[in-house]
Amino acid sequence: MTSLDTSAGPRPWRRRAWAGRLFVAPNLAAVTVFLLFPLGFSLYMSFQQWDVFNPPKFLGLRNFRELFTSDPLFLIAIRNTAVFTLGTVVPTVLISLVVAGVLNQKIKGIGIVRTIVFLPLAISSVVMAVVWQFVFNTDNGLLNIMLGWIGVGPIPWLVEPRWAMFSLCVVSVWRAVPFAAVILLAAMQGVPETVYEAAKIDGAGGIRQFVSITVPLIRGAVTFVVVISIIHAFQAFDMVYVLNGSNGGPETATYVLGIMLFQHAFSFLEFGYASALAWVMFGILLVLTVLQLRLSRQRSMEAASGPG
Amino acid sequence: MAPVELLFKRSVFRAVLVYTALLAIAWCWLFPIAWAVSGSLKSGGEISEPILFPAHPRWSNYTEVFTLMPFWRMFFNTVFYAGCITAGQVFFCSLAGYAFARLRFRGRDTLFVLYLGTLMVPLTVTVIPQFIIMRVLGWVDTPWAMIVPGLFGGAFGTYLMRQFFSTLPTDLEEAATLDGCSPWQIYWRVLLPHARPAVTVLAVLTWVNVWNDFLWPLLMIQRNSLATLTLGLVRMRGEYVARWPLIMAMSMLIMLPLVIIYAIAQRSFVRGIAVTGLNG
Repeated sequence: MTSLDTSAGPRPWRRRAWAGRLFVAPNLAAVTVFLLFPLGFSLYMSFQQWDVFNPPKFLGLRNFRELFTSDPLFLIAIRNTAVFTLGTVVPTVLISLVVAGVLNQKIKGIGIVRTIVFLPLAISSVVMAVVWQFVFNTDNGLLNIMLGWIGVGPIPWLVEPRWAMFSLCVVSVWRAVPFAAVILLAAMQGVPETVYEAAKIDGAGGIRQFVSITVPLIRGAVTFVVVISIIHAFQAFDMVYVLNGSNGGPETATYVLGIMLFQHAFSFLEFGYASALAWVMFGILLVLTVLQLRLSRQRSMEAASGPG
Repeated sequence: MAPVELLFKRSVFRAVLVYTALLAIAWCWLFPIAWAVSGSLKSGGEISEPILFPAHPRWSNYTEVFTLMPFWRMFFNTVFYAGCITAGQVFFCSLAGYAFARLRFRGRDTLFVLYLGTLMVPLTVTVIPQFIIMRVLGWVDTPWAMIVPGLFGGAFGTYLMRQFFSTLPTDLEEAATLDGCSPWQIYWRVLLPHARPAVTVLAVLTWVNVWNDFLWPLLMIQRNSLATLTLGLVRMRGEYVARWPLIMAMSMLIMLPLVIIYAIAQRSFVRGIAVTGLNG
């Protein structure tokens, strides 16, 4: 300690420590009340039968057992969510790689195109779902008008169960690509120019360079995008609710887990059952994320130790 | 001469290819929005016509929105909620972020790891208890429910600010400490003014997230006088089914303030998403 300490009353390091605790306190209180407590309380509720009106009743694992063995809608929701997640994440990653690759070109006018492509990031998915509903409209939507020009009859995009999931995936991909492209583009911009020089001397073309240099070098960012996209798609709610209705219709075509959770919790007020569902979703997500991360680590290790 | 000619041809071909791709991409992401703008200016009869520019744009669709729903009321509500939460997030997250980065106290690093852990907890798990908390407090259908949960900061913003403060050089504070500044004065007078880039990112992301949020207002707000714009849009769509020009006009009105913010703060916004990987 220096001589300053004795003259300044309470020791500065102690004063700083107290200031630190004080500065964190309001934030920690908020995180505790609105995040940590709900986390624990949700787990507690998943073992109970509880609506707000009657006292909770302990059920043990019965909520979970019921989900997997005697709720046919849960199986439908799982299947729909799996289809939706696959149908969103795979096209999103592929398309956003291409989009980011194109946006990474250093040419005139690229700024304007970037501004346009990234604009949907700022717009609420509710507004975008309403706008797409207008585009998908069976009788006078733009899509059916354009299909009419080439002689294809009106397609009931959102009315026919077979098409509804497809339409939902299209809109979700449209909405997810700008986000993924921002991350991939940032990663691509971090690839040093010198890496490409050898390839240029070898005469590798732009597409060749992209596939065999750029994409492998930004593997970390791609993994990140895959993980985040899975997390988003798996919990989809806003978009489905607005585009396909609060029941995930038509029939059960877009009845995904997010919609099921909302119904059980806030329409039927089955808080216990809905919490069990939430933890099942959380569990599946955790497993998927860990698997994905382990897989990509393995792959990058193989690439690092492999020949070449 | 031949190789040079070939090279020239190749680069022209390449430029054409790139610009075609650019146009196609721009069109893909612009056309739904352009079509919506166009739809908002059409009459009910023109809606099924494939024209982008209606001959006589009907601006009255927009004035009708103002008469059919309490638009300005909902606009004010949304601005109020977004403003309060953004101010609160910036203040409390930067304060805590400063503490986590610079002020040593026992258990600090453990606590920060806990914060990082909560970043992984999905809304799916926490939303039901949050709903119950609001019911128990009697805050459902009051502005409190919209503001208080986000007002005192959260894990994400704290993490963002802490990372930023860790990158700042320490000599500024050391000079201030020697001058006898308290930790609060150092935060308020020295560090916060230097944190503008991070504060802008946090503020823009928070504002946009609150503005666009749908689930929470849907759960919390019944009264139209407290509703946000996104909630108002979904309700109005239910009331005026298939009156597309009207619904599109409303959608455009909700979009416009965000398009303006995006135009002003595009750099911070896009960089914020790239750095944090967060988008609502």
